[in-house]
Amino acid sequence: MTSPKPPVIEARDIVRSYGERRGLDGFTLSVPAGSVFGLLGPNGSGKSTFVTMVAAMEPPPSGSLLVFGQAPTTSLRRRTGTVFQENAQDPLMTVEETLALSGKLFGLSRARIRERGSELLAAFGLSERAHDTTAMLSGGMRRRLEMARALLHDPDLLLLDEPTTGVDPDERKAFWQALLERERGSRTVLLATNDLTEADNVCDQVAFIRDGRVVTAGSPADLKRGLKRESLHVTWPDATEAQISELAAWPEAGALSRDGDVLRITVDDASAFVPRLFAVAHGGIRSVSIETASLEDAYFLHVGQREPRPVIGVSS
Amino acid sequence: MNPVTATLALFSRDLRAVIRSRSQLYSSIFTPLLFLVFLGNGVSKGLSPSKLPAGDFTAYLVAGVVVMTSVFSSTFSSASYYRDRDSGLLRMLLSSPHSAGVLLLGKSLAGVLIGSIQALIVLAIASPFVDFRWQYGIIPGILTAIAAVVLLNVILGGLAQAFASRIQTMQGFHLVMNLALFPLLFFSGAFFPVENLPVWLEVLAHVNPLSYAVDALELAAYAENSSAFFGIGLDFLVLIAVAVVIYAVGFTRLPKLTWSGK
Repeated sequence: MTSPKPPVIEARDIVRSYGERRGLDGFTLSVPAGSVFGLLGPNGSGKSTFVTMVAAMEPPPSGSLLVFGQAPTTSLRRRTGTVFQENAQDPLMTVEETLALSGKLFGLSRARIRERGSELLAAFGLSERAHDTTAMLSGGMRRRLEMARALLHDPDLLLLDEPTTGVDPDERKAFWQALLERERGSRTVLLATNDLTEADNVCDQVAFIRDGRVVTAGSPADLKRGLKRESLHVTWPDATEAQISELAAWPEAGALSRDGDVLRITVDDASAFVPRLFAVAHGGIRSVSIETASLEDAYFLHVGQREPRPVIGVSS
Repeated sequence: MNPVTATLALFSRDLRAVIRSRSQLYSSIFTPLLFLVFLGNGVSKGLSPSKLPAGDFTAYLVAGVVVMTSVFSSTFSSASYYRDRDSGLLRMLLSSPHSAGVLLLGKSLAGVLIGSIQALIVLAIASPFVDFRWQYGIIPGILTAIAAVVLLNVILGGLAQAFASRIQTMQGFHLVMNLALFPLLFFSGAFFPVENLPVWLEVLAHVNPLSYAVDALELAAYAENSSAFFGIGLDFLVLIAVAVVIYAVGFTRLPKLTWSGK
C-alpha cells in the first residue's frame, strides 16, 4: 500500500498586515499534490498576497508556510512557475527573447530553451509571432506568452494569479485547453481567481477566501452538495430583512444569499416557487432568472455578498 | 542555476534595450558634445585655466564632458529599473531563483559597459579639440584613460543603482540623482579648475571621487604632471576604494528591491 503524497503547499495561521488592514488573517490551507487548486475570493481578499508568499517573493511575517515540505526560499523558485495578475514582459523584447531570458535565469541550456520554447509556442499558438516584440501582441497572446514562460523550465508547481483577466472567451478557452490537455495531473496548479465559472470548469479542489481567511475548502462537487437543483437570481432592490427571513424559512428554499440588489436562492422546483415569491414581494421584484445551481451559488452561500451594503429605510 | 549565466543574461538584455532605445543612445553622446562645442567656444576667451598651457577652455572641458557622459549614462541605465518595474519584467526577474544581488549585478554591469563605451566615444569624437600628449606613452595612456572611465562608471552605476532600488518613483530618482550628482560634477574640476576655489569648496573637490576621475583622464591623455594634479597613483587608489565601498554597502542593503514599488 502506498502512502498518500504529502501536500505541496501547507499554510498555517499566516497573518500579513498592511498598516491597519490585514491582507491575510489566520490563513490556513493545504494543497494536495497534482491538483488544480482554485483560490476563490473577491478582490482584496488576500489571494495575490498568498501567491506572492508561495512564490518565495515575500516571507510570511507570522504563521508557517511550507512548499514541498520546506520554507519558501530563493532556490525553491526553480520548482515554481508564476503567472502574475499583470504581464511580466518587456515591450522592447521579442517573444523569443522573453522566453530565452527566462530560460537562462532558470539555468536552461540554449538547446533546451530552443526545444522547449518552440514546443510551448506551438502549444499556445504563438509560433508565428516568435520574432514580434511583446508590444505587438494582443492581450490574450500576452497572457499565453506568460503561461509559456512560466512553463518553460517545467516547474512542479504552477502559480496562476488571475491568468485570464482581460482575455476574451475564445482566447480563454484556448488558454485552458493548451494548459489542461497537456498538464493535468503532471504538476500542481494553484489558481487564484474571482471567476467562479472558470474555477468550476478547471479546478479539482477550491477554497473560498474572504478577508484574508479560508472560509471553506473542498471539491466543487462537495461544495455544491446540499444546494438545490436550480438557482434563482431575483433582482429585488427593496427586499426587507423580514421578507428575506420569511423566504429563508420556507422548506422549499435552499441556500439563500444576497449580493447587492440580487437575491440568490437555490430551489428544487422553480416553477412552483416563483409564484409564491411574487406574492410575498408585492410587486417589488424587477426580474427573475433561473439557472442550474453552480459553484457560484456555493460561493455566495459561504462567502456572502461582494461588498457590505448598508440597508437604508427598512423598518423592522 | 549559475549566477554568472544569469548576470550575463541580464547584462545582454539591458545592453540590447539601450541599443534599441536610439533616442537615449544618441542623446547621451550628443548632449556632452554640445556642451563641448558651445560652452567651450563661448568661454574660451574669458578663462585661462592654469592646468593647460594654451588656456583653451574647449580642450579643458574634454575630461569634464567625458565624466558628464558617464553621469548621464549611469542615470539612464539605472532608470531602467523603473521601466522594468512598470512593464512588469521586474516581477519575472524577482520570481527567478536568483537573489536580488545577482539581478542588480547584471544590470550594473550593463550600465558600466554602456556608460564606458559612450564616454570613450565622446573622448574619441572630442580628440580633434585636444592636443594629446600621452605622457605615459600612447598605449599605456589609452589604457589608463579606459581604466579611469570604467572605474568612474562602476562608481556612478553603483551609486545610481543604490538610489534606484530605494526610491519609489522615477521622478524622485531623477531629482535625487540631480541633487547628488550635479554638485559632484561641478566641483570635480570638470568645468572649472578647483585650485583657486574658496577653501570649503576646495575641500569638497578633494573628497569628491569625480575629481580623481577628471584628474586621471587629464593626466593620461593631455596634461603633464604638476603640483596642480592629485597624481595618477592617488587617482586610482581613490577610485578603486570608492567603487569597493559603494558596491559593498549597496549590495549588503538590497532587500528594498521590490516589484510592486511598495
